[in-house]
Amino acid sequence: MSRLRRPASPVLLADGHRLGGVMLRQLFLGQCLVLALHLAWVPGWLAAMAVAVAGYRYLQLRRDLPRAGLVLRLVAVVGLVLALWVHYDGFGGMGSLIGLLLGIYLLKLLETQNRRDARVVVMIGLVTVTVAFLHDQGMLMALAALVTVAWLLQSLVWLSGARDARHAWRETAWLLGLSAPLMAVLFLVFPRMEPLWSMPQMGRAATGLSDQIAPGDIAELSRSDARAFRVAFEGTVPPPVERYWRVYTLSHFDGVRWTRATPSQLAATLGLPLSRFVHEGRRTAWGATDGEAPYTLELLLEPDSRPWRPSLGAPRSVDSPQRFLADGTLEGREPLRARSLLRLASSGAPPAHADPAGAVWHTLLPADTNPRTRALAKRLWRESGADPERYLRSVLARFGEAPYRYTLSPPRLTGRDRVDDFLFATRAGYCSHYASAMAVMARTVGIPARVVAGFQGGERHPDGHLTVRDYDAHAWVEVWREGAWRRLDPTAAIAPERIEQGAGAVREGREAFLADAPLSPLRLREIGWANQLRLEWERLEYRWQRGVIGYHREARDRLLAGLLATLEAWLTALLALGAWTLALGGGLVLGGALLATLGLRRLYRWALGQRGDAWRLQRLQAWLARRGRPALPGESPAAHLRRLAPEAGVAGPALLAAAEAFERLVYAPLAASERRRLRRRLRRRLREVRRGLPRRAGSGPGAGATGPEMAS
Amino acid sequence: MTLARSAPVSWRERLRRHWQGRLSSPLGEPLPQKRLFLLPTRFGLGWAALIPVLVLFGINYQNSLAHALAFWLFALGVVVILRAWRNLLGVRLALRLPAEVFAGGEARLGIVASARRPRTALRVSAEGGAAWLDVRAGHGETELALPVPRRGVVRLPVLRLETRWPLGLVRAMSWQDHDTELLVWPRPLVEETSAHRPGGQGLDTGDFAGLRRFVPGDNPTRLAWKQWSRTGTLATKDFEAPPRESLWLDYQACRGAPERRLSILCGRVLAHHRAGDRYGLRLPGQVLAPGEGEAHRRAALDALARCQPPGLAELAP
Repeated sequence: MSRLRRPASPVLLADGHRLGGVMLRQLFLGQCLVLALHLAWVPGWLAAMAVAVAGYRYLQLRRDLPRAGLVLRLVAVVGLVLALWVHYDGFGGMGSLIGLLLGIYLLKLLETQNRRDARVVVMIGLVTVTVAFLHDQGMLMALAALVTVAWLLQSLVWLSGARDARHAWRETAWLLGLSAPLMAVLFLVFPRMEPLWSMPQMGRAATGLSDQIAPGDIAELSRSDARAFRVAFEGTVPPPVERYWRVYTLSHFDGVRWTRATPSQLAATLGLPLSRFVHEGRRTAWGATDGEAPYTLELLLEPDSRPWRPSLGAPRSVDSPQRFLADGTLEGREPLRARSLLRLASSGAPPAHADPAGAVWHTLLPADTNPRTRALAKRLWRESGADPERYLRSVLARFGEAPYRYTLSPPRLTGRDRVDDFLFATRAGYCSHYASAMAVMARTVGIPARVVAGFQGGERHPDGHLTVRDYDAHAWVEVWREGAWRRLDPTAAIAPERIEQGAGAVREGREAFLADAPLSPLRLREIGWANQLRLEWERLEYRWQRGVIGYHREARDRLLAGLLATLEAWLTALLALGAWTLALGGGLVLGGALLATLGLRRLYRWALGQRGDAWRLQRLQAWLARRGRPALPGESPAAHLRRLAPEAGVAGPALLAAAEAFERLVYAPLAASERRRLRRRLRRRLREVRRGLPRRAGSGPGAGATGPEMAS
Repeated sequence: MTLARSAPVSWRERLRRHWQGRLSSPLGEPLPQKRLFLLPTRFGLGWAALIPVLVLFGINYQNSLAHALAFWLFALGVVVILRAWRNLLGVRLALRLPAEVFAGGEARLGIVASARRPRTALRVSAEGGAAWLDVRAGHGETELALPVPRRGVVRLPVLRLETRWPLGLVRAMSWQDHDTELLVWPRPLVEETSAHRPGGQGLDTGDFAGLRRFVPGDNPTRLAWKQWSRTGTLATKDFEAPPRESLWLDYQACRGAPERRLSILCGRVLAHHRAGDRYGLRLPGQVLAPGEGEAHRRAALDALARCQPPGLAELAP
């Protein structure tokens, strides 16, 4: 700190052009802060590079070496590009571009010589901070970015001629504070647009739900605690066992895996127009148009590489145009690039309309696979007397019995007849094994069936919103019965605790649960306070995401519409008062304002006159007396101050000046303007006296040890 | 450009003066709002260009925080304009002229700024020089060094007062007009004796007559230092009679171009003053009776500064 307070300009060296050590340190610390925003997503050797560059500059400054030559700078840039090329395997992705920007920002310090260079460095820093928002827009990131931007501004204030660190920070605080309201207004009011052109996107791994299921593959989703989406309900909240979030229907089975048939694939395969499978708009085109939609919910979706949108049962209407598919699922027009909000009304039940793909499509099975399962299905079908209801019940009941086990880490299946292997050999699996087997058995006897992939459950937060995570992913079966699709969930038969309490409640195969998230706070769910803390943090985070990050066009339109409505309500209320009342009120307000502007000053002067200079001085004297420095009998106020001045330390000059100003005010014939100036000076000096007067040793409590020097 | 004597006025110069008169405010008065101009700096233009880029970034990536940062930078720009304007508004400048200025050196103008609120990083500049100052506790001072190449009465240039505080995005500036004139003495030239034939006899003084009390302005060479070291009181040695014959420094006795002659005379005046001599000055159209002391020196140098030498043709011996 002491170096920051040097009286000479600390920013520049003696030649008046080159930057001094203090400013370079400022720039370097700013770089460190910017780097810290990125560090979780960029290669760590960038940090080493930053330190190396700073070390070079330090030595250069210390030893007064010549500046970095063109060769050195070129070598540094080429080295950076090569290292990034190797690390990212080319410059195709967004990650490598961000790395390049960051690297150039760090290397720029090599050739930062004067004020102008320093400003350029700060500017690149601001751009780099913005780019960090591509990684994450959470609350912590926003806070860190705020600190970083404040630091960068502070270095600009230094460059513009701040005297010391305190001065620079005070100015920065003023700037940030004064500009924040304008920023907030602009943020709320500025029109939010759809992307104007496509930009290179962050390579987002498709971590979420997959559109194909092969029983026997590793259960990847239960290993992750990543958030899939969050939901707030308006009105009815479904009970846990009814929270089935439909995402995809998988209607094509090749003997090993269930795959989704997209609308265009279906249209091409079946020779039907595409419009029969997909409808773009805000309302569904299938089922009764006024079909009931008991659930209204607001989804906060995480960005994903696929355009899926979950819905509770069949979607009925949404607040922005989406693609409604004929199988009763919802799809976005394109993948989400950022977290965004979607308001949705849905039925909560499987769709009640026939799939245009037809019943035959939903009973197709490859001819020569899983022979034992087919045999078993045919036997059960005969045993149930060819009654579909009894047949389905008996299949479910069979899964509910030993030796079938529900486990999160089942043995791997690799064969061609995986359903056979599961049903007759391993007999252990999780939702997709059971759903797959169930659907195969239904199709074998001619009942139209499909597997539905989605989520089930979700963690309920104290404020009512639900968080659905990757490990809530689930698969179940829908069968076409009596003019509607009906949900059949074999998992509910074998592991009801999975449905009621979520994947964390499954005892068997626990080691797979959250296996990819060793540091997840969800592991502390059993510890009460830790869980409370986590829930509280997630609530805050949810509000942040919903209010700030999710503030896109719809949210803005809603807010502005609400504001306009409020304004309009006020206006109508005012108009209802009638013209005369309005005129009277307006006149009163105007007159009041006039009186206030004219009168307040006069009132202030009057009060000031009443409590004039003598009054002020008397107050100071009383204050001094309380500190053990009373006036002597018969001593004039000015004499009192003058007597105290020599022993008053820092306050001494102020005491003398105050005494002088007071005497001139009282005795000298002064012009009004001069008098005003003098009065201001008196007030200021009096304040300085109060600030600077040292405590008298031994007079106050705890003052004995510190002396007058300490107090100053 | 450097300081110049008032020259014949071209139309361009007249136009410049006209605008200067309209744009500048008088020195010594608080800077009014009407005469305060705000211009973006190059850095400010860069900043302004950055904002739409960040907004586009925010739109194309649907990124709320990028929107927020872009808007914050914009809001900062607006606030900076206000802060820069407030930093300059109401500042009152005053000039303190240097006591002696020789041509070829620099005039160190004292600049005193006063204002009610504290001000930061004000830059005062004129053609050829710049200085920085802060106003704290109502008062701030700096020195502005201006080169003065020629002797004579010099009209000081218009002062430009500007500030880029607080972020360097905006430059608030004003011109301070005034008609202060500065008398620049000739450049002193110490010349070998041949260049000047002294008229008059020399430095012999009269007999020592006694000591008298020192009066400020007495010739320092006649101080009785021994007396001072013994008694502690300053005394001046008094002589019976003034120097029998005083020294005349004559323009006509010098050789060379007029300015060079004046320079030589200036160097002489300084040397004789230092030596405590009594000297007179003969210039074309002006004669300064012999005298000594500080006042005489100033009078002599002023006369040299104001001297209008005749044309070269008249000089031919």
